Amino acid sequence: MTRPGGPIARWLDDRAGIRDLKRVLLDEPLPAGTAWWFTTGSVLLFGLAVQIVTGIGLALFYAPTPDHAWDSVSYITTGVLGGRLLRGLHYWGASLMVVAVAVHIARVVFFGSYRKPRELNWIVGIILLHVVLAFGLTGYLLPWDQRAYWATVVTINISRQAPVIGDWIASLLQGGGQVGALTLTRWYATHVLILPALTVVLVALHLYLMRRQGISGPVTTQPGRSEMFFPSQAVRDLTVVGILAVVLVGLAWRGAPPLEPPADPASSDYIPRPEWYFLGLFQLLKYFPGRWEVVGSIVIPGLVMTWLVLLPWIDRGRSREPRHRRPVLGVFTAGAFIAGVLTLLGAMDRPAHLVAGWNVRERAGAALIEADTRCTSCHGPDRVANPIRPGRISRPPDWLNAHVVDPIVIAPGLREAPETNQPDTLAIQAALARLRSGAPPPADPGTRQVEVLVNRFCLNCHLVEGVGGKDGPDLSMIGLKLGADQIEMRVIDPKVVQADAMMPALGDKISAEDIKRIAAWFAARK
Amino acid sequence: MSTPDPRDRRSALARLVTAGVGLIGAGLAGLVGLVAAPRSRAPERRWRTAASIFDLPADRPASAVISDRVADGWYETRSQTVVYLDKEGDGYRALLSTCSHLGCKVNWDDGTKQFRCPCHGGAYDREGRVIAGPPPRPLERLPVRVNPQTSEIEVQL
Repeated sequence: MTRPGGPIARWLDDRAGIRDLKRVLLDEPLPAGTAWWFTTGSVLLFGLAVQIVTGIGLALFYAPTPDHAWDSVSYITTGVLGGRLLRGLHYWGASLMVVAVAVHIARVVFFGSYRKPRELNWIVGIILLHVVLAFGLTGYLLPWDQRAYWATVVTINISRQAPVIGDWIASLLQGGGQVGALTLTRWYATHVLILPALTVVLVALHLYLMRRQGISGPVTTQPGRSEMFFPSQAVRDLTVVGILAVVLVGLAWRGAPPLEPPADPASSDYIPRPEWYFLGLFQLLKYFPGRWEVVGSIVIPGLVMTWLVLLPWIDRGRSREPRHRRPVLGVFTAGAFIAGVLTLLGAMDRPAHLVAGWNVRERAGAALIEADTRCTSCHGPDRVANPIRPGRISRPPDWLNAHVVDPIVIAPGLREAPETNQPDTLAIQAALARLRSGAPPPADPGTRQVEVLVNRFCLNCHLVEGVGGKDGPDLSMIGLKLGADQIEMRVIDPKVVQADAMMPALGDKISAEDIKRIAAWFAARK
Repeated sequence: MSTPDPRDRRSALARLVTAGVGLIGAGLAGLVGLVAAPRSRAPERRWRTAASIFDLPADRPASAVISDRVADGWYETRSQTVVYLDKEGDGYRALLSTCSHLGCKVNWDDGTKQFRCPCHGGAYDREGRVIAGPPPRPLERLPVRVNPQTSEIEVQL
């Protein structure tokens, strides 16, 4: 008998039995009427493959240490050919996995596929859901940016609330005395070794059980013949996967969202927010004050997961048709709806008092950074030092402050920053702190150059927009009291107006034209 | 002497293999557990200089960053702890800026005269007592003293 296939296939089949392997892997009899809803599992396998391959690519460049993690991820996106797409695929692939797991679970619930004898496979699936979420959580610590750091702090503190063993789990997750180098290596090992190994074992078990029991198929027996998985269902799977692959590449083409500023345990103006798929849990935590917090962080998520695990025993009727299973499907739909609403509420929450605009000193500093030769002689495209851009500054604040005071000192962290009250220096330091936290400077409405002068000559004594000295009056609303001409007179020589004025005359220090511009700027403060 | 039943011999060997594989597994798991298990270490508290008494504004708490070189495994890093210093009667008060809910950094908001947590909406008054939101405890108060020679506020941290 001649067998189909070329000589190589025959040679391999004689030695490795690849035809048997194909039979085991692909010749799966499917109940009639199996169709598009049964492609969700293949979508997850596709997502898993994308995450494994792109993860290996990222691991070729990534360094899991606090002083290099941010820089190495930044290098992947800016210095590696195709690196931006690679990180984009891994980032959006993670979101795809979460969405696909949710759709897959919803499909199983609505089709009642967890019913006997598939209870065990359902439980394996729920464990895999947790593995996917654990991948997301451990993955976004790795860039070691602000979001990474604070999400980790919050996660470890949540685990501390677990009854009895909370402290033990928290220190197991943290590794060292604080969230730092030992936490990063621990989470890295979990993300690239422990969880992938667990995933391979659990997915193999999930597929083995699926093949052993056969798929559940439509909720009622459909007319028609049973069909093999390969090739007709495989084509359906591939169609859905192909569409999603195009969507994924489209999303990833411009890369992942930019890195946030490097982790800074002392920063006080950062607003920590988790990745979108944890926003629902984040929002839930706000509703349980004081000693009830454990309800939001542990009890409710625990009850939801327990309910899911027990579903095959809660929903035990004979029929799998949705109309006979309204209570269970109602609870599931309501839960999904609540999770969606919580996620939306979490996404909309931005504490207003922290999203303040740039004050005059910070704006003056931004103007100096862009135009002053002390900065631009070294920083810029094709210069010896990198351009100064929002969210791209990895040096710690005290390094930056020392560097601004004395840019020649290459490693300012080695000694204390000298004290300074030079107005330009203060302004540049303030603007760098803003840029470091990722805030883009506001557009220049043509007043920046005046603001540099205001910062240089006025803010040592006067308070404007909450910054400056307190020896003179607060000038934030001075335009309500004085017109431009009156202000101009006072700047040139205040003694003309008030004989005992403490303020020095500035007429001989600033050009007449600049004084006019300063006066006009203050006259507009109302 | 009776010959042993070969079935007994087989099941004894099967138990032996199971026990051997179990022993190897337990040994490997124990090794990983030993390496990964958390070690409890009580952080040592010391007096540290936070700020000069002349740097404190009268109308609001002032933040001070206390930097310290600390060992973090193989790595030496600079820990930065933010405390809020304030006048209290004849003395001073120092509050740790870490929210008692889940550890985010609180800010002093001059508009509402409250410490606000940017994460889950916790709010504390100027003395660190909880006013709103999920925090279960007030902000942690740290022992404070003033160094008479230097007029600097020292905080035990």
